Amino acid sequence: MSMMGIQKDRVRFNVGGKIFETTATTLAIAGRNSMFGAMFDENWNLRPGETGEYFIDRNPSCFAVLLDLLRTGELNIPPNMPERLLYREALFYGLIDHVRAAKWGQFDGNRLNLAGSVAGRAPGDGTAIRAGPDGGCCVAHGSMVHVYNWMLEEYPPINLDYQRVNDAGWIDSDNIVISACERLGRGDGGMGLFSSSSGDLRYKFQVNHDNQVKSYTAGALSFSSDYKIFASCKGRSNEYGIGVWDQVTGKQIDFFYESLGWSLGDADKLQWLQGRNCLLVATLFPRKDNCYISLLDFREKKMVWSWSDMGALITVDEKRVRDAIAMEDTSSICVVNEYEDLGFMDLRSTNGSVRWSSRSRLMKGKMTDEPCYPKLALHEGQLFSSMNDSISVFCGHDWVLTSRLRRSEGGSICDFSIGGDRLFALHSEENVFDIWETLPPPIM
Amino acid sequence: MSAQKKRNFQIEAFKHRVVVDPKYAEKTWKILEHAIHEIYNHNASGLSFEELYRNAYNMVLHKFGDKLYSGLVTTMTMHLKEISKSIEAAQGASFLEELNRKWADHNKALQMIRDILMYMDRTFIPSTHKTPVHELGLNLWRDNIIHSNKIQTRLLNTLLELVHRERTGEVINRGLMRNIIKMLMDLGSSVYQEDFEKPFLEVSANFYSVESQQFIECCDCGDYLKKAERRLNEEMERVSHYLDTKSEAKITNVVEKETIENHMQRLVHMENSGLVSMLVDDKYEDLGRMYNLFRRVPDGLFTIRDVMTAHIRETGKQLVTDPERLRDPVDFVQRLLDEKDKHDKIISLAFNNDKTFQNALNSSFEYFINLNPRSPEFISLFVDDKLRKGLKGVSEEDVEIVLDKVMMLFRYLQEKDVFEKYYKQHLAKRLLSGKTVSDDAERSLIVKLKTECGYQFTSKLEGMFTDMKTSQDTMQGFSATQSADTGDSPTLAVQVLTTGSWPTQPSSTCNLPAEILGVCEKFRAYYLGTHTGRRLSWQTNMGTADLKATFGKGQKHELNVSTYQMCILMLFNNADSMSYKEIEQATEIPASDLKRCLQSLACVKGKNVLRKEPMSKDIGEDDAFFFNDKFSSKFYKVKIGTVVAQKESEPEKQETRQRVEEDRKPQIEAAIVRIMKSRRVLDHNNIVAEVTKQLQSRFLPNPVVIKKRIESLIEREFLERDKVDRKLYRYLA
Repeated sequence: MSMMGIQKDRVRFNVGGKIFETTATTLAIAGRNSMFGAMFDENWNLRPGETGEYFIDRNPSCFAVLLDLLRTGELNIPPNMPERLLYREALFYGLIDHVRAAKWGQFDGNRLNLAGSVAGRAPGDGTAIRAGPDGGCCVAHGSMVHVYNWMLEEYPPINLDYQRVNDAGWIDSDNIVISACERLGRGDGGMGLFSSSSGDLRYKFQVNHDNQVKSYTAGALSFSSDYKIFASCKGRSNEYGIGVWDQVTGKQIDFFYESLGWSLGDADKLQWLQGRNCLLVATLFPRKDNCYISLLDFREKKMVWSWSDMGALITVDEKRVRDAIAMEDTSSICVVNEYEDLGFMDLRSTNGSVRWSSRSRLMKGKMTDEPCYPKLALHEGQLFSSMNDSISVFCGHDWVLTSRLRRSEGGSICDFSIGGDRLFALHSEENVFDIWETLPPPIM
Repeated sequence: MSAQKKRNFQIEAFKHRVVVDPKYAEKTWKILEHAIHEIYNHNASGLSFEELYRNAYNMVLHKFGDKLYSGLVTTMTMHLKEISKSIEAAQGASFLEELNRKWADHNKALQMIRDILMYMDRTFIPSTHKTPVHELGLNLWRDNIIHSNKIQTRLLNTLLELVHRERTGEVINRGLMRNIIKMLMDLGSSVYQEDFEKPFLEVSANFYSVESQQFIECCDCGDYLKKAERRLNEEMERVSHYLDTKSEAKITNVVEKETIENHMQRLVHMENSGLVSMLVDDKYEDLGRMYNLFRRVPDGLFTIRDVMTAHIRETGKQLVTDPERLRDPVDFVQRLLDEKDKHDKIISLAFNNDKTFQNALNSSFEYFINLNPRSPEFISLFVDDKLRKGLKGVSEEDVEIVLDKVMMLFRYLQEKDVFEKYYKQHLAKRLLSGKTVSDDAERSLIVKLKTECGYQFTSKLEGMFTDMKTSQDTMQGFSATQSADTGDSPTLAVQVLTTGSWPTQPSSTCNLPAEILGVCEKFRAYYLGTHTGRRLSWQTNMGTADLKATFGKGQKHELNVSTYQMCILMLFNNADSMSYKEIEQATEIPASDLKRCLQSLACVKGKNVLRKEPMSKDIGEDDAFFFNDKFSSKFYKVKIGTVVAQKESEPEKQETRQRVEEDRKPQIEAAIVRIMKSRRVLDHNNIVAEVTKQLQSRFLPNPVVIKKRIESLIEREFLERDKVDRKLYRYLA
């Protein structure tokens, strides 16, 4: 009886002339929405041919890799096998999601490995790079945004009336929002929603002031988990501030006008803070002569926290804030200056001042010829900051430097982004961006 | 021929792709089309899954996705049209079964087609924004089967007919029904709603409209409600068996509207079986059913509450204004309590302890209790009765229950100060006569009154208790000093009452017998010796005495009498007979009291220690009294009560009323001054409103009285009228 059971469980394939033996149990891992799931459904009442095997007219070496993936959960691509070939075969069998899930591990800033570099065709310097939710990314250069899926295949590029792009972001794996400068008198620019795979413009967001549609320049973007889009906006008649749109309807649902002597419409960075239910807005040197950082509560239309270096005696350049990021867990804001000194501000005190950390001052006086301003990112308790051609990883309560990602080619890093368990770093020269992935865990 | 021969240049575009066999697409599609036919014909066992999967893949890969997709639509549509014919052809009951069978077939075929076309479903369909295969299959089923001319109406009618048959008691195939309804739901909520739910609700509304009309003509209220409840439960059960759960609220709504809401007034007011009859007969089950059904419809509970309130008010009013009932205050209050208990029980058993019903009950009681101005007096008398004798042998918890009930009635009283007046009088009598059953019960009630009305209300009552305690101590001290020469002289027990704490009595003294007078003087000397600066006067009208008497045959009895009666009897130590006039002269007891005392000594059978001539019930001024030598009683102790009117007589009532009114004046004035002190300026109506609000915990002040008090305060220059607006008053500091 048990022999029978084993016999019954065993399955023989002839794939492109090569014989494989596996079990129905292994094939079941593929799931109902795969070719194997369909094939062995009782509806089909499938019987093997006279030779006792099922024939599949496909590439046997790729089948071997994919079968191994089903058996072990690991993806091992032989060096001589082009990835594209494997991906195509995986798509045929309905196993592409399995491949993607096994391709790289869960993100850990201290175990990153350079998985590849993509040389772009953009004519100018990069503006921004944004990681997508499932491993793809988009790169803004001048007025174009180039989109890549997780296999790093490039989709048709996106533009919004060929206006200069200020920021881009992923709503989900199929939708990208880009914000761009307006063209005077034409109503061009502003903000648009695009299909990531086809590059089609799906929706153009409007700004209304006093029930009139106005043209505007959209700057930094941020999204909230309750389907809102935030963007810094500049209109022509002092309509500066932060606009809010509904992701589902596309309609503008709110506008926070900037008050006199403060800056919102020119913001470099927006960050939605879910726990505090408010938005971090940072306008920084050198876009403005002074730095302005504030937290906005849209429910009460109130600036609930603010900081500026206005009126501060600025004699030493190093104290100019170049990027800021809110850390909700510790109720603080981390800032960085152009020498990669990290500074911290307490969100619980209203008259905050920056507490600079000398520990992180590692680059003092070692400026390269073509500097890029440092950028900050936060991911699951790890803090990342880019400086010149490297990205530093800080961990722990006191933000100790734990790793440094560096690659000599491509020049300074002008932007980087973490998402879909990958880190993308965009270099200012040579139109190159790097993909950093976490290695799979050790076998033992 | 023309030399200018037109020459056509044709520049062919460079082709990237080497086109495979031009008939490739057609050939491949034929294979797949054939497979789809075989699948629908239950003949799939000969098909090669791998081959079909690969072919579908190749068509998409080679850009024939559109051909594949449109071919699928055409082929599937063709099969569905055939299926449609076979369903149409099904006769009678087999119609639904055929539909169900074909639906199952289609689902299976759809799954298999989707298996073959999986690659198209994953790649071609999302990128071209087409409908995925499964959804496409459902849409085509909907359009070609469910919405086909010959099926749509027939299906609806069949389903509605089955529901109707089930409602009229037939058993139907619920499993089949469930499958078909599930199919409609699978096709999308709009299909279920438009093709079934809406017409179902309409038909149901008609059905219940007609049925409820029939029922209401022939059923009494209780039966009707039972039927309505059963129908409601049936519909809920139907939903749980074969409809969308979201339909439950809608269909119950229909039943509620047709059976309850539309007949609500008629049901409630039904002669001999409506709400009032149910209340009268304590039909808890019917009342509970009515409550549960009526609460499902708008204004339902309001209607019940309204009728209940009117009923309680009417019966309550009859009760408190019935002259027959006024004769016995204890019975009067007991009936109120019974009425309250009855309705409390109804509310708790049938009306889910609904707060709004409790409030309605309370306000009804408040309404009718205050219709009778004697209610405060009667309630106090009821307490008096209970505390004198009614609570003997009753457990502590039960005492508490009775007291709580009394407090509940007390809460309804508007004239709480009147109650206080009577309560004080009755309490005084109880304390002084030592008739109270339980000191704990007395104190417990005082505490309850205190929590209800505050310290002020009970401070004097508590003062009475303090006096009683102090008197005990004083008496102990006194008898300690007297211990030496007790001898034959009578034993004295004095209660020293603080003036003001006790109800004021017209001080009517009498001439005490010499023996007593001596002891009294000793006490006076003792008391004034220990307490300087006090005045002591005797309230002879309130005391009691125990006399040892020996009658004709040497019979000895202890006579328990009042002080007045003692004075009278002591006279007979020296004389065997005395005339009324002589007694009056000797004792100087006020005439009315004297007559009452003599009546109880001479005219009550079994207690007639005196004999009167002539024999009659009433005492005349010319009567003569004799020591009744032949008096006998089987008891050693004989208690001779005074003939007292327990209830107040008309003049007494008037007097109490007047005292109450007098007491209210300073309270109203104080309230006015308090209000004006904080407001400085206020108009007349607002003052009246605020005063009423401030005093309502004690009594309901009469606006006319308030106006008089304001005028008095103006005279005394506490207030003045505004010079411009005469309606405004100003406070003068």
